[in-house]
Amino acid sequence: MIFREVEDRDLIAKAQRGSLEAYNLLVSRWEKRVFNYLLRLVGDREDALDLSQEAFLKAYQNLGKLEDAARFAPWLFRIAHNEAYSLLRKRKPEGETLREPSEGAQSFRMFPVELSLAVRSALERLSAEQREAVVLKIYQGFKFEEMAEILSCPVSTVKSRLYTALDLLKETLAPIHARGVE
Amino acid sequence: MSCSPLDLKDYLFGVLTEAERRQVEEHARGCQACGEELDRLRLTEAALRSLPDEEPPRRIAFVSDKVFEPGWWQRFWQSGPRLGFASAALLSMAILVHGFLRPVPAAAPMATDTAAIEARIGAAVVKAMTESEARQALKLTQLVADTEKRLQFDRQADRVAFEEAFNYLQKKFNVMYTASADLGGSR
Repeated sequence: MIFREVEDRDLIAKAQRGSLEAYNLLVSRWEKRVFNYLLRLVGDREDALDLSQEAFLKAYQNLGKLEDAARFAPWLFRIAHNEAYSLLRKRKPEGETLREPSEGAQSFRMFPVELSLAVRSALERLSAEQREAVVLKIYQGFKFEEMAEILSCPVSTVKSRLYTALDLLKETLAPIHARGVE
Repeated sequence: MSCSPLDLKDYLFGVLTEAERRQVEEHARGCQACGEELDRLRLTEAALRSLPDEEPPRRIAFVSDKVFEPGWWQRFWQSGPRLGFASAALLSMAILVHGFLRPVPAAAPMATDTAAIEARIGAAVVKAMTESEARQALKLTQLVADTEKRLQFDRQADRVAFEEAFNYLQKKFNVMYTASADLGGSR
């Protein structure tokens, strides 16, 4: 982990001096995480990929503003967050239709694929802010302070969103708990 | 509803200290409601984590393009020499400001300083002269003594030479006197 951090720091320094090769290597290391983060926010693979590309392009153009290489991850996810919300704001007028989970979602047997569907469905029932808090904590493993940096809000707000989301998910996924997670 | 003294979600996300974690665990062992609530939270987290990551449909990579590349000024500003340049600029500015803002020394202290310096120089010159004179006097004394010794030696040599010449003449005169006496007696 330490070696990885040092290597990332080297790549960032090279990219800041204009090395596109170093930056492409950095992108290859982070693209999957950024793509999955965006995918769970916007729910569409093509949109998530486009947003990922935009986020990495903006990150490259603004890499000189990143003073501490150790803060690269929160800084990159902050850019990705802005890109996602830019798209979500455009979508909003078309209707804030949150897809309701299908009736069957709560009654099917919990095979892995079905469990994934149930979890996705439960995530979709959350507000965008709650879902993002879950994604950043559970799937991306950020600390609360880093989440506050990405979301540009106090740690107390981050915790509030996450804990409320967790209560809602707990209720939504209660039938799964009754059957046990396979 | 949890009656735990500490938030079970804080426990779940590792926010608590070790002592606080033990406190929650002890409470959850003794309290059925909190124990069940903690189990439900753990199951919810496990269910969420079961959702696998997806591979991006295409790899993201950038090719060299003027649109992407930062300008020469950005590259310079983001490069290593930036610090050196900034330091040099700062130093130059500090020297310039110091040059302009340095207070001009008052005339009186300057005069005092000059007088003191002149006094020191004068003292040093006097001292050097005194030492030089002493050295000259000593040299002169030695020279006089040497000259007198040489003259005395010369006088002595002259006296010896005079005495020798006198003795030689006296002997010659005696010889001549004796010869003339002999010559007169024979006549």
